[in-house]
Amino acid sequence: MGNVSILSQLESYLSLTNQRETVIASNMANVDTPGYHTKDLDFQHELARATAAPDGTTPHAVVRDVSGLLERPDGNNVDIDREAMKLSEVQLQYQMGTQLMKGEFHQLITAINGDE
Amino acid sequence: MGLFSALNISASALSAERERSEVAVSNLANVDTTRTEGGSGPYRRREVVLESVGTSPFQSVLNNASDLRAGTVPSGGVKLTHVVEDGADPIRRYDPGHPDADKDGYVSFPAINPAEEMVDLMGSVRAYQLNASAVSASKQMIQQSIDLLKS
Repeated sequence: MGNVSILSQLESYLSLTNQRETVIASNMANVDTPGYHTKDLDFQHELARATAAPDGTTPHAVVRDVSGLLERPDGNNVDIDREAMKLSEVQLQYQMGTQLMKGEFHQLITAINGDE
Repeated sequence: MGLFSALNISASALSAERERSEVAVSNLANVDTTRTEGGSGPYRRREVVLESVGTSPFQSVLNNASDLRAGTVPSGGVKLTHVVEDGADPIRRYDPGHPDADKDGYVSFPAINPAEEMVDLMGSVRAYQLNASAVSASKQMIQQSIDLLKS
């Protein structure tokens, strides 16, 4: 069941990447909201938690306030450059996830069809 | 928390920022308006109030649990709660020939600083661009998921 377990791990990887993208989109949406604090999730930690969880379940990621960012006078600390960088990072991670998944499917198809 | 929630969040920001730039433009347009409907003196500068939606854990879980109804701002998004009037006193200029001049010959003009409005406008345009690029990033990710179906 090698392929299936890798596929389920990739699924939790993609789901986590997607959750992180939502958090970044929310930070970007609130770039001008007074008093808003940048939020993020600890990707490494959450990925370890998601892969350790039983198959078919994806635990809800914990979203925390990010510390160490410069706060503007209106209490908002969203850094556009940081968010733009994280967004492209997440995009590439997602692309990698889908490409790996494609590879797994391709392998399965090859196994089913035999060498034609 | 689906593929489309990030799109909804960015869309809420796009509409909030567009309304913000509309208010700034309306302030610029009325920089010399000395009378308003109802005869309540000169135009008053307007400002928007933005508020983040569902950032408390309870609210976000509740929003995710109940299906998104049309027209509601998704959890994590932003909404423009109200447009407030600036309480600054009008600027008084001496112009006895003006039809809105008072008995001493002074006319009340709105206290609007065009430079301030331009900066506000530029800020909202930049924020709009930022969120538009977030929309294209989400779209690309959704497209990649769809591409999984192609062999």
